[in-house]
Amino acid sequence: MSATASTQIFPSFEQVYQGLASQIGMLREMAPQPTKSDEKRLQGAIDTLIADTNADEAVWLESCIHCGQCTNACHYFQSMQDAKYAPMRKMDLYRRVYHRELSPMRWWHRLVTKPVKLSDFEEAKELIYDSCTECGRCTMVCPMGIDTASLVHHMRSAMVAAELVPPELAALRMEQKHQGTVFGSSPEKLKEMIDTIQAQAGVHIPLDKETADVMVLSSAVDLVANGNGLLATAKIMNHLGVDWTICSDGFESANFGLLSGDMALWKKQADPIVAAAQRVKAKTVVIAECGHAYPALRWNPMLRSGELPFQMMYMSEFLGKQAKDGKLRLRPLDEKVTFHDPCKTGRRGGAFDEPRAVLEAMGADLVEMANNKEYNWCCGGGAGIFLLQDATKLRDESFKIKIREVNETGATAVVVSCASCRLNFESGRQKNHWDKRVESLVELTAAHLIDNEAIDDEAPARGAVQ
Amino acid sequence: MAYEATLGDLLRSQGVSRRAFMKFCATTASIMALPAGAASAMAEALSAARRPSVIWLSFQECTGCTEALTRSHAPTIENLLFNFISLDYHHTLQAAAGDAAEHALKEAMQANKGEYLVLVDGSIPLLEYCSTVAGHSNKQILEDVCADAAAVINIGTCSAYGGIPMAKPNPTRAVATGDIIKDKPIINVPGCPPMPLAITGVIAQYLTMGKLPEVDHLGRPVAFFGENIHDRCYRRPFYDRGQFAETFDDEGARKGWCLYKLGCKAPVAYNACAHVKWNNGVSFPIQSGHGCIGCSEPGFWDMGGIYESVAKGNFGDGAKLGAAAVAGAALGAGAAVLARRRKSEVHHEEGAES
Amino acid sequence: MTLLDFARGPAIHASLIILAAGIVLRLVGVLALTRGADLSRPRDAFGNFKGYRTVFSRAWPSSEFNAATVYQTVMAYVFHIATLLVVIGIVPHIEFITSLTGASWPGLPNFIGVALGTIALVSLLALIVRRLSKPAIYNSTVGDYITWIIVALPLLTGLMAFAHVGFRYETMLALHILSAALLFAYMPFSKLMHAFWFIFSRAQSGLAYAHKGVRI
Ligand code: SF4
Ligand code: SF4
Ligand code: SF4
Ligand code: SF4
Ligand code: SF4
Repeated sequence: MSATASTQIFPSFEQVYQGLASQIGMLREMAPQPTKSDEKRLQGAIDTLIADTNADEAVWLESCIHCGQCTNACHYFQSMQDAKYAPMRKMDLYRRVYHRELSPMRWWHRLVTKPVKLSDFEEAKELIYDSCTECGRCTMVCPMGIDTASLVHHMRSAMVAAELVPPELAALRMEQKHQGTVFGSSPEKLKEMIDTIQAQAGVHIPLDKETADVMVLSSAVDLVANGNGLLATAKIMNHLGVDWTICSDGFESANFGLLSGDMALWKKQADPIVAAAQRVKAKTVVIAECGHAYPALRWNPMLRSGELPFQMMYMSEFLGKQAKDGKLRLRPLDEKVTFHDPCKTGRRGGAFDEPRAVLEAMGADLVEMANNKEYNWCCGGGAGIFLLQDATKLRDESFKIKIREVNETGATAVVVSCASCRLNFESGRQKNHWDKRVESLVELTAAHLIDNEAIDDEAPARGAVQ
Repeated sequence: MAYEATLGDLLRSQGVSRRAFMKFCATTASIMALPAGAASAMAEALSAARRPSVIWLSFQECTGCTEALTRSHAPTIENLLFNFISLDYHHTLQAAAGDAAEHALKEAMQANKGEYLVLVDGSIPLLEYCSTVAGHSNKQILEDVCADAAAVINIGTCSAYGGIPMAKPNPTRAVATGDIIKDKPIINVPGCPPMPLAITGVIAQYLTMGKLPEVDHLGRPVAFFGENIHDRCYRRPFYDRGQFAETFDDEGARKGWCLYKLGCKAPVAYNACAHVKWNNGVSFPIQSGHGCIGCSEPGFWDMGGIYESVAKGNFGDGAKLGAAAVAGAALGAGAAVLARRRKSEVHHEEGAES
Repeated sequence: MTLLDFARGPAIHASLIILAAGIVLRLVGVLALTRGADLSRPRDAFGNFKGYRTVFSRAWPSSEFNAATVYQTVMAYVFHIATLLVVIGIVPHIEFITSLTGASWPGLPNFIGVALGTIALVSLLALIVRRLSKPAIYNSTVGDYITWIIVALPLLTGLMAFAHVGFRYETMLALHILSAALLFAYMPFSKLMHAFWFIFSRAQSGLAYAHKGVRI
């Protein structure tokens, strides 16, 4: 049923995945080498942790009782059964630094513990990047409620200072830092894609309008590989008849500042989007299906978003709201499906009801997985891990949990709403010759719009009026 | 002093039947856990025993020990035995006084050199002027008299462990006999006062067997002090059921419930009170409604208040803990302030770098 | 000074002072650190407050985690409850607390106290056996074992003292008090501080997630 016109214009997601996978290999070669002296790298890492540590982090670091409850909650431990992947281990180095630098007992710890070395950070790399998607599932079982994901995130910031970011993320971070883009996307690429969509699918995308109610973001994956994502978004927006635009100076959802742990880059990426939204007087910013963009923007702790004149919504939230308001007219989806909550929008984002409302509007037979919503198993590819070659085994093994969970529902398709999840599902599907379909919520919705043609025809006219 | 009658003669003259005497011997033998047949051997030996020379020294004491032994309201075999062994020299009991008394002491020491027993009640002040007899300090007398003694028997907690005179703040710097005499066998019969049977039992064993009985780590005869009073207490079932007298006149007290909460120290006291009892087996303190004060234990007077239970201990009050908490808060706040300063410096540097 | 005098006097005295000072030192030293701010708009205006429910809701793991956690959770509960009841239910303990605080309440009969103490010790053994048999799950450190020993000692010596096993009663009692003193003095500097941290740690996470509209 996704065999609509769109699949003929752009490659299928299966091909998108294969294309991207080959590009990832090249990222490793583009990775920058450390530039600072070892002492500076170490000091930078320690200073970063000192600067990042507030009472909350300190309490979490103090609280762990080594009760072991969290270990089996983590998909990486669960699938590898190797002690080193236990969640509580991922905060060990952070705790050592905290104990020596900030804890009220630091004089004692300095007496009895060895100073932290750069090699300690090197060793922690696998724990901080390859084997933690910052999914937060371990927090759900920890009797102390320790938010390991937050602690790992601070460790990633320290790793940036220590110049120990894995090559793939380091390359993308550098690209985003210096070119402001990733995977070679750019405002030109955006324009090209919009033109292609207009020309081949006849769907109009209003680029750079003066003002608009809704400002929509895109993402590099959509621009350089998966044109269907942007096409589907456009179809839906036009179907809804909202006053919308995409701004060429603020369209990129992906934020490798957040993924690598570079807080400065995080802010640098978020600022232009906020500026653009204010300029066009948007009331709503819709974040593309790119899971980590949700925390990067909507939950950006550095951004006083309560005072901004617009609200930020994840694609699934936006769609859900429209569905609840009865504005989405959808053809029925006569199929048993299950929904995978991306960690960043689900457990760590709170957008649970909306995507389900969309599926409900399609009349889909939604079967929940045994672990769902707050308890959902991470797909294993989030927080940039999908890109890491060193994490391949971890990713592949942990995905088997997901396969099992989905199979148990008896659904024929699993709907996701995050490009990373989708890539990882696609990878897992192909590697395991899995017989389930993987659907993106936005593309599935677009494929089920009623009166697509009529609305598509109207759109340019309306766009011209403005 | 020329009286050389045997103990048997004495008992007969006081109208004590052989049957009663055998009973005493049997009791003593059984308490002291002597082997079967020991009772009749003891009876034989005791009947035939000539009185040994005993010198009784009284230092910083209250005479309670002597009283306990001698003032029982009916003559007992214990105090008859005591009468029998007494006494070449006893500060309190002897008829002689002044030079005559001192002369008697010299004579006894001379005549029985190396064989006489020294019984001591009362502690010895190291501030020697605090207690003197005939111009000699207690310490001096003890050292002189013990020089040629066969053994020393401490009667009462004062001489055994320092007792009440040594209680804080110990103004006379009192010590026990054992703190001064190091080269003689010493046996302690503590109690404030000690049980009469314990005193005579030790002496009886010495008289019949020629040796001192087996002692525990505090130098007390195991026969009398080997058992915990709490373990032998008839109120123990109430303790186990958690039924306690809360005051001396409440329901629990009337019903004879456990006195633990009223300060009974028996759980840490070792003595024969609960099974041998006092006054010819009539009663003992707990039976009469008052907790044990642990009088047979070293330092009993400083073990916490008499009416404070064993668990209370003596660690002062909650105020100190409050002070400690305040100190902790100050240290913690200090540590946090320094940590915050450290943080802001790091922030600064980072800011300068970028 | 006998061992018992030492235990009941200076030892327990010093340990209580360390306990009081140490707990406050560590609590204040951590809680008075800088506070981070999440400036983003909460999902619903008064939603953050709901985060405090995590302090209570995390008292039992969600059923999703049953298979992996039920043994540890049940044993930990048995241990904590039995120990708590022993600590506050046995008459000598109540007397001790009364002398410190003035508060007093009726005690439990000894057989219940002994049963609870035994249960606590057995559950503690059950926990260590599992810790030892599943090293990958627990990632135990030396500190974990030291803590276990320091927690087990008062239970063991208490039961031994009561049952008159081992040394003489006053020696066992002294050892029991000394082991409690050790526990008091060790507590503020060890993971036993979780007795306090759990409230803050749970509340923080609860608030952070509630900010995003997630119940954890
Ligand atoms: S946050 Fe997720 S990936 Fe990271 S340790 Fe916890 S459960 Fe594992
Ligand atoms: S569940 Fe929490 S307290 Fe227990 S080991 Fe894991 S992080 Fe530590
Ligand atoms: S032990 Fe007690 S009864 Fe004996 S002399 Fe000393 S104070 Fe008096
Ligand atoms: S009255 Fe004293 S000795 Fe008797 S049971 Fe109670 S505490 Fe023990
Ligand atoms: S009951 Fe206790 S205080 Fe009383 S005489 Fe016996 S040992 Fe001494």
